[in-house]
Amino acid sequence: MVGNTAEAEDLTQEAFLQLFRKIGTFRGESAFSTWLHRLAVNVVLMRLRKKTLAETSLEETTEPDEDAGTSRKDIGGPDLRLVGSVDRVNLERAVEQLPPGYRSIFVLHDVQGYEHNEIAAIMNCSIGNSKSQLHKARMRLRELLQEFERSRAREARQAAKGGSGGGQ
Amino acid sequence: MSQLQCAQFEQMLEEHDGGLPNAAAAHVKGCAECRMLWSDLEAIRKAGTEWGSEEVAPPEHLWSSIRLQMESEGLIRGTTAGAGWLASWFGAVPQWALASASISLLLIAALLASYQTNVSTANNFSAAARLPAQMSTRSMREKVVEADLGKTLDGDLKRVFESLPERNPLLASSLRENLGIVDNLIAVCEKSVREEPNDALARDYLYGAYEQKAVLLATATDRSALEVQ
Repeated sequence: MVGNTAEAEDLTQEAFLQLFRKIGTFRGESAFSTWLHRLAVNVVLMRLRKKTLAETSLEETTEPDEDAGTSRKDIGGPDLRLVGSVDRVNLERAVEQLPPGYRSIFVLHDVQGYEHNEIAAIMNCSIGNSKSQLHKARMRLRELLQEFERSRAREARQAAKGGSGGGQ
Repeated sequence: MSQLQCAQFEQMLEEHDGGLPNAAAAHVKGCAECRMLWSDLEAIRKAGTEWGSEEVAPPEHLWSSIRLQMESEGLIRGTTAGAGWLASWFGAVPQWALASASISLLLIAALLASYQTNVSTANNFSAAARLPAQMSTRSMREKVVEADLGKTLDGDLKRVFESLPERNPLLASSLRENLGIVDNLIAVCEKSVREEPNDALARDYLYGAYEQKAVLLATATDRSALEVQ
């Protein structure tokens, strides 16, 4: 959720320390793993909120041109299908480049498996808002992954040209 | 397909996360672009789910860091120093040497305090002070420990200290010093028993340590009685 290994380790430590400090507040109403998971998510969200310059809502931590909408049609290049090419490395790179709000939603829903009603409670937003942000996060990921594919194809073409035109 | 229908399809993707309504499914069949979009978003969703299903263990240094922070906040007790001392006690020194050294220490302390028996004051001793002579079997020892001997001994020792005559501060000082040595031994042994309840050797040492404290109590009590006479 933070897109940074060092910070993730730091927050993992903080989450376990919070666990020991607050273990007395666990009432057994949910599974212990659920309680711990929620505690860890809250630790991360607290850090993300502190990092923003001013109080922002979930919408404000997404793309600045969100109101204009993101077009499905790529400009300057063909749409590249992603099926079969969404590998972990590229996905992680793309997630790291997401704005914090999109990243949180995607990680909470698709990676961690939270339902929209749970995300709405955690992020203090509506269920409709959670669904909307998730869709936009996936659309942005699609754009980023397509950019990676285009870069890779471009590099491959340049490598091939350089090999064939080396004698000139 | 008209752009309007494609826009509606995308709106449906947003609202019906997790499945396509019939109208959207029908649209996908006839629109290559929307079919590609749906396919890509599903691939991203599945890749995210696979990512989340992996169990990732934090690096080892993270656990050390957590432990150090918890010890510094007093959430847990540090064990590294104690374990080192305990290891040197129970590992490096032969068992018979350890036991005899402990007993010898107290015998020396008793000699310095000029031990003499006084039968008339025996009745003033608590049951704990008489125990050393009776503690000849393991079952008896276990009963003694179960009777919370430590607290009983502490109570008796407190009464002894209060009764020590002021004109013999040397006796009080010697008693306190030897008591400190024995209490340290008891603390180490109790810790060992807590950590390894099934360790018979640790229990033997603990019983032995209580015996030594009882002997010390008896010595001090006798000496105190003689001073008063």
